Amino acid sequence: MADERKERFFLDSLRRALGPPPQASRPMEDLFPRKPSAEDQRLLGAVSGRSEREREELLRRLRAAAAPLHLQIEAVVDLAAARATVLRLVAEKSPEWGGEKQLVAWSHKLIESLDLAEPLARQGIPLWMTAPIDPGLAPEAAAEERARQRARIAASFIGITTADFCLAETATVVLRSRPGEPRSVALLPSIHIALVRRGQILADLKELFALLRWDERYRGAGVSNCLSLISGPSKTADIEATMVHGAHGPREMFLLILPD
Amino acid sequence: MSAVRTERYVEESRRGIADPVLRRALSGLQERFGRGTAEAYRRLPEGPGLRQTAHAIREKAIANLDLLLERLAARIRANGGEVFFAATGEEAVSYCAGIARRRGVKLAVKGKSMVTEEIGLNSVLAAQGVEVVETDLGEYIIQLAGESPSHIIAPAIHKTRNEVADLFARKLGIPYTTDPPRLTQAARRALREKFLAADMGISGVNLACAETGHISTVSNEGNIRMATTLPPVHVAFMGLERIVARLDEYEIILRLLCRGASVQDIGTYVSLIGGPRRPGESDGPEEFHLVVVDNGRSRLLADPRFREMLCCIRCAACLNVCPVYGRIGGHAYGFAYSGPVGAVVTPLLTGVQRGRDLCRGETLCGACKDACSMDIDLPRMLLELRAILAAGDATWGVKPEGGLERNVWRIWAGLVSHPGLYERLLRAGAVLQGLLPRGVAGWIRRLPPPLSGWTQSRDFPPLAKAPFRSRWARRRREVGRG
Repeated sequence: MADERKERFFLDSLRRALGPPPQASRPMEDLFPRKPSAEDQRLLGAVSGRSEREREELLRRLRAAAAPLHLQIEAVVDLAAARATVLRLVAEKSPEWGGEKQLVAWSHKLIESLDLAEPLARQGIPLWMTAPIDPGLAPEAAAEERARQRARIAASFIGITTADFCLAETATVVLRSRPGEPRSVALLPSIHIALVRRGQILADLKELFALLRWDERYRGAGVSNCLSLISGPSKTADIEATMVHGAHGPREMFLLILPD
Repeated sequence: MSAVRTERYVEESRRGIADPVLRRALSGLQERFGRGTAEAYRRLPEGPGLRQTAHAIREKAIANLDLLLERLAARIRANGGEVFFAATGEEAVSYCAGIARRRGVKLAVKGKSMVTEEIGLNSVLAAQGVEVVETDLGEYIIQLAGESPSHIIAPAIHKTRNEVADLFARKLGIPYTTDPPRLTQAARRALREKFLAADMGISGVNLACAETGHISTVSNEGNIRMATTLPPVHVAFMGLERIVARLDEYEIILRLLCRGASVQDIGTYVSLIGGPRRPGESDGPEEFHLVVVDNGRSRLLADPRFREMLCCIRCAACLNVCPVYGRIGGHAYGFAYSGPVGAVVTPLLTGVQRGRDLCRGETLCGACKDACSMDIDLPRMLLELRAILAAGDATWGVKPEGGLERNVWRIWAGLVSHPGLYERLLRAGAVLQGLLPRGVAGWIRRLPPPLSGWTQSRDFPPLAKAPFRSRWARRRREVGRG
């Protein structure tokens, strides 16, 4: 195939440009190690052995990092408090693009346990729950289902997701893509609400990457085919360096932190 | 390849210097970012020395590029993505144009990408009837105005809010307003429609990771996440050098990228993308293509003098401290890349001879090296380019510079090795220079041709009445008598 020839030619020209390698300078084990380094081990140990005091400290750092980013953090005492916070936001905020209030949320145990459907239904506010696309569907039917879900997400003024992790140092929410948890729920609605448990708070990117590379619980999916790191609402300063929130993504972002 | 206008550097620089709006915008930008970046490096938990660590990581990646790219490609293919290696810009563009034809693409939304500016992607897609919409707010403004970016990270830095207000009123049909939040809202509304209707999303790549097989994009606006999530096809373009081996190395480079680019700890949206959506996922692209672009980069790789330039991640920190860029602006550099990075990389990619004024325009003050998030020695490479231009270089197709400067030095070398002749000439010169116009402190205001260029913007020190050698001899005699 022409493309394969091209590829060989491309890589060969790179090798020619690189010149003959001194053997020692191409240590595969250093490029792509098969075992965690001492530093990786230290990071993994820091995550698994974190004391209650250290977790308290992480939460404090998370709040400090979130404030300048306009990421609003609410540590709630239980599911009922989390539900009350969501309902308060639904009542206070109005849809950016006009129309009726609608919400969309991932089908996820944590979100389902908030029992939002009933109180919202009483107010006549639709809550759309996303769902995986059934692999048994014919392509046309699958495409229709995708279009239906997208239309609902685009019509919703609030999107509710969970997160895989949360990083204290940079106030970052970590989302790994998976079926039933569309990426656009954290993107198209004007307000993004993310729910995490306290135990999901890591210190920083280093800890996250150490877990994704070496921890058996996460290694399989690894980074997944799309890992999103989101640190606050969308923003721009492209017109005379004036900061404006809500350039393309959500204008507002809330992170609700539940006890473990 | 997009239009190269490096020959017009001097003319365009003059235009930039004469533009008070541009000067104000650039000095504001440099004031904010220039200092902020240095401070952000100091605040790193590892200290500013992390830049040297990053440099070593990038050098290792560059030395093993073939292995890293093979691994990246294998991983992405295993994930259901396509990888295309393009030796030239034309190949990269026509690959993307081919996808657009096959899929019947009418509308493509694009995240900001320097390499697509370099290879001139938009015009080729437009010529085959694809509407290509830039979605970074700054790029969108520039595209509506029919201009080209003047800064790698802040492409519309040269536009005032009044200009944007006029532009949006005219092109988007909104009521005239100079309020940045309302202008942003207008673009948000217009572009949201485009995102939802687009058949193709196009992005660049800030940095890829070979170990895991991911590309990554960084933005604050969320436009790249939109462009890579909503359309059914995502085509990502990367320069072949934008890769590191491992995820822990990626972490270090990412942190420095965000600090160098915009004094942030992390960009608002960082996406690591390793392939199309998986079965069962309701969004994300069904096709994912990565186009790895050489377009002259392997020539830099082959030359030990310039290989270091491939460590660059285009954070643009060097633009924010460069005294030359701060006066002349980005358009003067005549290609996608401006500032110190442009002065080195543009001639190497588009022709050293035609871009000869770029490296000569820079001052060699060294501010760019101090600001560089990857600690790249840009001043050294500016000097290498000047040396190539003076002495000629077959690999870069540069003939040695013509007569004057070299002849002057040759004559000088002859004179100083004949002290008698040298001294007679100096004495003659000391008399003859009385004919030349003098300025402050007796300095010569204008030299006669062919040396007049030297005194175009500065004075020249006069020859001493008596040469040093004779003054020295007289002084020794006086001391001896005393």
